[in-house]
Amino acid sequence: MCFKFLSASVSLALLAVTPASAQSDTVTIWSWNVAASALKSTLEGFNKKYPDIKVTVHDLGNDQVFDKTLAACAAGGDGLPDIVTVENFEAELFWSRFPDCFTDLTALGYTSEKQALFPDFKRTELEMDGIAYAAPWDSGPVAVFYRRDFYEKAGVDPATIKNWDDFIAAGKKVMAANPGTVMAQADFNGDSEWFRMIANEQGCGYFSTDGQSITINQPACVATLEKIKEMKDAGIITAAIWDEKIQANTAGKAASQMYGAWYEGTIRSGSPDLSGKWGVYPMPSLTEDGPHAANLGGSSLAISSVSENKEAAWKFIDYALTTNEGQVTMLKSFGLVPSLLSAIDDPFVKEPQPYWGGQTIWSDILATLPKIVPSRGTPFQSDADAIYMATQTKYFAGGYPDAKAALDDAAKQIETATGLPLAE
Amino acid sequence: MRSKSKTLLWQKITLHAVLTPLAIIWLFPLWVMFVFSTMPDYGIFSPDIVLIPSTNFIENFKNLQADTDFLRAMFISIAVAVIYTILSVFLTSMAGWALARYRFAGKPFVIAIILGTITLPFAVVVIPQFIMVAREFKLANTWIALIVPPLFNSLGVLFMRQSFSMMPGELFDAARVEGVKEWQIFLRVALPLARPTMAALAIILFLASWNNYLWPLLINSRPGMMTAPVALGTLIGLTKVSWGGIMAGAVLLTAPILVIFVLLQRHFIAGITAGAVK
Amino acid sequence: MPSRNRVAYAFLAPYLLIFATFWVWPIISSFLLSFQNTRVNPWRFQPSLNWGRLVADPAFYNALYNTLIILVIQVPVMIALATVMAVLLNSPLLKARPLYRFAFFAPVVVGEVAYAAVFRLMFSADFGIINKLITSIGFAPVSWFDNATAAMILIIIAVTWRWAGYNAIIILAGLQSIPGDVYEAATLDRVSKRQQFLHITLPLLKPIILFCAVLSVIGTMQLFTEPFLITNRGGPGGGTETLGLLLYRQGFTSLNFGYASAIAYTIAALAIAISLLNLWVAREPK
Repeated sequence: MCFKFLSASVSLALLAVTPASAQSDTVTIWSWNVAASALKSTLEGFNKKYPDIKVTVHDLGNDQVFDKTLAACAAGGDGLPDIVTVENFEAELFWSRFPDCFTDLTALGYTSEKQALFPDFKRTELEMDGIAYAAPWDSGPVAVFYRRDFYEKAGVDPATIKNWDDFIAAGKKVMAANPGTVMAQADFNGDSEWFRMIANEQGCGYFSTDGQSITINQPACVATLEKIKEMKDAGIITAAIWDEKIQANTAGKAASQMYGAWYEGTIRSGSPDLSGKWGVYPMPSLTEDGPHAANLGGSSLAISSVSENKEAAWKFIDYALTTNEGQVTMLKSFGLVPSLLSAIDDPFVKEPQPYWGGQTIWSDILATLPKIVPSRGTPFQSDADAIYMATQTKYFAGGYPDAKAALDDAAKQIETATGLPLAE
Repeated sequence: MRSKSKTLLWQKITLHAVLTPLAIIWLFPLWVMFVFSTMPDYGIFSPDIVLIPSTNFIENFKNLQADTDFLRAMFISIAVAVIYTILSVFLTSMAGWALARYRFAGKPFVIAIILGTITLPFAVVVIPQFIMVAREFKLANTWIALIVPPLFNSLGVLFMRQSFSMMPGELFDAARVEGVKEWQIFLRVALPLARPTMAALAIILFLASWNNYLWPLLINSRPGMMTAPVALGTLIGLTKVSWGGIMAGAVLLTAPILVIFVLLQRHFIAGITAGAVK
Repeated sequence: MPSRNRVAYAFLAPYLLIFATFWVWPIISSFLLSFQNTRVNPWRFQPSLNWGRLVADPAFYNALYNTLIILVIQVPVMIALATVMAVLLNSPLLKARPLYRFAFFAPVVVGEVAYAAVFRLMFSADFGIINKLITSIGFAPVSWFDNATAAMILIIIAVTWRWAGYNAIIILAGLQSIPGDVYEAATLDRVSKRQQFLHITLPLLKPIILFCAVLSVIGTMQLFTEPFLITNRGGPGGGTETLGLLLYRQGFTSLNFGYASAIAYTIAALAIAISLLNLWVAREPK
C-alpha cells in the first residue's frame, strides 16, 4: 500500500503542469465586481507614477474571494495573490485564525501618520496588537435614499425627519398620498441590516468595542429592536430581500431605502429611468438630538505573507487608498465611498450629482464619516448574526414577551456559542 | 374489438391529460430563464410579467464576456466533463463488476468504504483535501486536480453493481466453462449488457462534473483555468448583480447539455432495444 | 459467485488507488478536527468542546428539525412522483415521448446559480409570477421569503422540481430492464394492467425505488444549495436552515472547522442510520 501511494504521487507530480512563477515587477490583486473595476480605474494614474510596476486585478466574485482566501490560508498561503480584498466585518476572522497569512503593513510604510488618515471605526477590525493587517478602502456611511416626488406629493420635507417617530409619521403620510407604495423595506429574511445600522447609530452592537464581551442586550440595542418592531407593526416598513428591494425601486413601490452609501450605484444603475427623482437624507435617530451616523459594510486591502513583491504591492495600496487622487477616482468611476477623511475636501465631492436631482450627496454622506462609532465585527460575527436573526424572527412572531427578553435570550445563546462573557 | 379500441383511446387521452400540464409546469422555469436572458436588467425587474423573449441576448452575452472570459471557461468545462465521464464510467463499472460478481477477501471492508463515503458530506473533506492536493501534491491549477479526485465516486459503483447483479449468472458461468478470461467476460459480455445503465450513469456523471462548483472554485484559482459555473459565480456579489448577464450565461451553460441530453436519449433507447433483443 | 482475490482486486485497483491517494487522509483528518478547538492558535485538543456544544446548540436542533421535515414530506412525494413519471413515460400509448422525457429531465441539467436566480425571481413577493397567479385566482399573495412555513414550502417545491426527473431516469432504466415477455405471459393469462403493475412492475422495481429513496435520504441530509441560494442562507432567521447549511456556515463563514467536522460526522451517522432503517423496513420477508 505504501509503495502504491508513493508511486501514485510521483507519477501525478510528473504530470502536473508547473505553475508559472511570478515576475518580480508584477502585483496581482483579488477583488470583485464593482470594487475590482474601481481598482482598475486607478491604474492609469498609478502607472504614471510607477511605470515599472504592472498591476493585474482579477475580478472574482465576492464569495469566491472569501472562499479562496480561506482555502489558501488553510493551505499555508499557497496560491494567494499579492493583495487580497477583505470585507471589514469578516476581517477579524482572518487575522485571528490565520495571523501568519498576512503581512504587517506598518513594516512597509503604513506609518501612524498614514493610519490617522482614516476614521477609527474603519481601523478597529484591521489592527490587532499593534499589527496592521490591512488598510481601509471604502466604507458604508448609512443614509436614507428617498423618492423626491413621492415625498413632495405627501407634503413631507425630509429635513423635518429627525427621529424614527418622525419617520413613522412621515411614512403614514407618504403611503396615504401614494397608494401602493411602502415607506421603506428591510430584509427580515437573510440579513439583520436595519438592526445593525440603528444599533450602530446608538453606539450598541453584538459585542463591545474591545471584542471581549457580549453587549447585544444593552438598553440601546433593546430600544433599537423595539423601534424596528414598532415600524414593522405600523406597516411603514415591509420585508424584502435584496432583489425584491431592487424590483420595488424600479417599479416605484418603495418611497425610501436605508443602506450604506454604496447603495448609490445600485439605485443609479438599477433604475436609470428615474434620474432626478431620487434624493438622500441622513438617517433619523432614536431621540430628538441623538446621533445620525452609522456604518454598514465596506472593505480593505491586505498583502499576503507569501507575496514576493511586498514593496511594490504596498506602493499600489499607498497610491490607491491613502491619496485623494486614488480614492476619488474610485468614487467617481464606481461610487465607492472613500474611507479617507481628507476626501471630503476634493472638488468632485462638492459637485452636485445630476441623478440625485442636483444634490451634493457625496459631501452630505462623507460628512458623517468622523461621527461613526466603531462596531466591532470580532471573529464570532457570523455566529452572533445568525442567532440574532433567529431571535428577531421569533420576536416578530410573538415568541417573546418583549424586546428585552428576546435579546437576553440571544445574548445567552451567543455566550454558549462563543464562550465570551456577557457585559456588565 | 370496438370497445377495446375505445378503452385504449380513453387511456391515451387520460395519459396525455395528466402528462401535458405536468410537463408544462416542469418546463416553465426554464422558459422564464430563457426569456430573462434576452432582457435588459431593468426589464427583468419591471412590474409586468413578460413571457415573450426580447432582443437583448447578444448585449447580455457581451457584458458577460467582458466581465469574465466565459467562452474559455465553457471550453474547460466541456473538456473536463468529457474526460471525467469516460474515465469515471469505466472505473465505476470495473469496481461495480468486482463487487457484484466475485467473492474475495476483504469484501466487507471495501463495501464499508463505499457506503461510508457516500454519506460523508463533501464540505468537511474539502479543506484537508484541498491542503493535500495543493500543498503536498502541488497540483493546484491543473487538469489532474479537476478530474482525478472526483473519480472516486461511490454512488456510481453502487449503481453499476446493481446493474451487474441483476444479470443472470449462468451467462457468465457458461463463458467461463468455455475458458473465456475474466477480463474478456467483463468487456465482451457484461459491459454490452450494462449499456442502458452506463448511459444513465454517464448522464449523471457528466452533469455532476458540469455543475460541480465548490472544488473547481477552490483548486483552480487562476482565472485562465476557471470552469463555467465558477466564472458565472464571479458575477454575483454584494454591490452589483447583473441578472441579464447571469441569465445569458445560464442559458449558455444549459443549452449545450440539453443538446447532449437529447442525443444521449437516442443512445439510451437504442441501448435498451439492443438489450431487449438479446 | 466465484472467489477470485487477485481478479477482484485488479478490477478494484484504480478505484481504491484514487481513494487511498486523495481521500483517506482528508477523512481521517476531519474526524480528528472534531475533537479540537480550532478557534485558537495553534489548535488545541479539547475533545468535549465541539461535541458538547452540539448537544446543547439550539441552532443544531433547529437544523435537524428542518431537515427531518424535508425528509418526511419531500422525499416520499418526490419518489412517488418520479415513479409515476417513469411509468407513464414507459407507456406504449404515449405520443411524443422524447418531448415529455425532455421536459421532466431538463431541470436536472440546470446549474445551481441559474436555478436559484430563476426561482427567486419567480417567487418574489411583489413581482413574482407565482404571486400574480395566486392573486389572480382570488387568494392573498404569499410572502415566500419572510414567512418560515412558506419558505419551507418553497424549498420543498424547488427540490422536487429539480430532482424528480433525476430519480425518474433511474426508475425508468429499471423499468426498461424488466423483460417484455414477463408482461406478454401475464397478458396471455388475462391479468389486468393494474394487476400487472401492482404484482409485477412494483415488486421488480422495489430495489431501484429503494435505491432512489436511500439516495434521496443522503441528499436531503446534505441539502445545501436550495436553502443557501434561494432562501438566502436558510432564512428567515434559520427557518430553512438545514444540517448541510449549518455545516457550511460553521465551516466556511465562521471558519470553525472543528465544530463543522462534528456536525459533518453527525450528518453522516444519521444518514447511515436512516438508510439502514429504510433497508430494514423494506427487507425481503424470510
